[in-house]
Amino acid sequence: MPSLKDIKTQINSVGSTRKITSAMKMVAASKLRRSQEKAEAARPYSSRLEEMLASLASSAASGEGIIKLLTGTGNDQNYIIVPVSADRGLCGGFNSSINRETFKLVKSLEGNGKNVQIIPLGKKSRDFFNRVMKDQIIESFVDLNISNTGYDSALQVSNKLQELYFEEKFDKCILVFNKFKSAISQEVTKQQLIPLDVSNSSKEENTNNSSAKAIYDYEPDEETILKDLLPKNVSIQIFKVLLESDAGEHGARMAAMDNATRNAGEMIDSLTLKYNRTRQAFITKELIEIISGAESV
Amino acid sequence: MATISFDLVSPENLIFNDEVGTIIVPGKDGDLGVLPGHTQVMSSLRPGRVMVYSEDKNLVKSFFVSGGFAEINPEKCIVLAESVVELNSLDKSSIEKEIEELGSKEDKESVEQLSIAKAKLEAVTVSFYDKI
Repeated sequence: MPSLKDIKTQINSVGSTRKITSAMKMVAASKLRRSQEKAEAARPYSSRLEEMLASLASSAASGEGIIKLLTGTGNDQNYIIVPVSADRGLCGGFNSSINRETFKLVKSLEGNGKNVQIIPLGKKSRDFFNRVMKDQIIESFVDLNISNTGYDSALQVSNKLQELYFEEKFDKCILVFNKFKSAISQEVTKQQLIPLDVSNSSKEENTNNSSAKAIYDYEPDEETILKDLLPKNVSIQIFKVLLESDAGEHGARMAAMDNATRNAGEMIDSLTLKYNRTRQAFITKELIEIISGAESV
Repeated sequence: MATISFDLVSPENLIFNDEVGTIIVPGKDGDLGVLPGHTQVMSSLRPGRVMVYSEDKNLVKSFFVSGGFAEINPEKCIVLAESVVELNSLDKSSIEKEIEELGSKEDKESVEQLSIAKAKLEAVTVSFYDKI
């Protein structure tokens, strides 16, 4: 049986862990608010861009040059998977679910005879894929720090991807990221980045038919605009995904730390009960000794 | 006189959103003056100045954009720009220094940066109307 002192130390150490986790929860909550605001602020740009693209997409006829970002290379052999994870842990299943889903995706694509390469974003997925499929990583980006550096870090990733695409190193690029659903729930989502998934935007076109279908004059002409628009769209999609994943990370950390704090509280309760029982047991034992001693006299 | 609603949007946030009288945007083939009731135009932009004038034709704000897109319809003008700075926050000597540094480099990105910096210098030096 543990001594009273042992239990007391245990209670103290769980108590200080609880302090840490509840502090981390507060920090995550305030960071979550900030990154949610950022994500909100980025929305007008990306939604406008998508609208423009939707009304232009139909005019892309031939698959030459930059337009390939929209129409694809015509092949379906080489894939690049981009898992988007956090740089830090202690956020529940946030990183591991990304890694698990990506791993599954890579395996199933390979099962279909495709070549798959990986560009992990964030330390946690880089470390994971460094362990399990090191030779398939062609590049990795860590410390993107999206909430501080903003659009520039998305640009880095997007430039690299486009460079590889135009060198014809891959045919399709798929992002795997945590979609921010609410502060406490994220959903692992796969999004095809290159070539652009038009089915998505054409759906949007239908919903705001009246504005998107309006007849525009194009200056200089549709093709030139499209050529400018497509690379921007890739960057902005990455930017959006990074922001969303950032918000998701803080949300996940908040939930994880909330759980941890609650668990620590429960543990302290049960330890305190044990402490009191043990103390009572000692007292009872001492009393019995005294009484039986007195009786024998 | 009528007004037209003008949005200036960068990837990070909404920079300007108000009813204005006239906007001048740097279209790829030349500047576009946008007044209320303008025909529907979609244009890509070159690096240059976006000038915003109020209903009574006074200059309200001036920005430098490094390119982007403009979507114009009779009631609304939306400019999507990759990087936006207010014109009066630009400093001529620092731009000149930037041009000097970039001038010697030859990779694709630097050349692009250089053309933006040159446009920036032009935006600062060339005079503009405070009232139209």
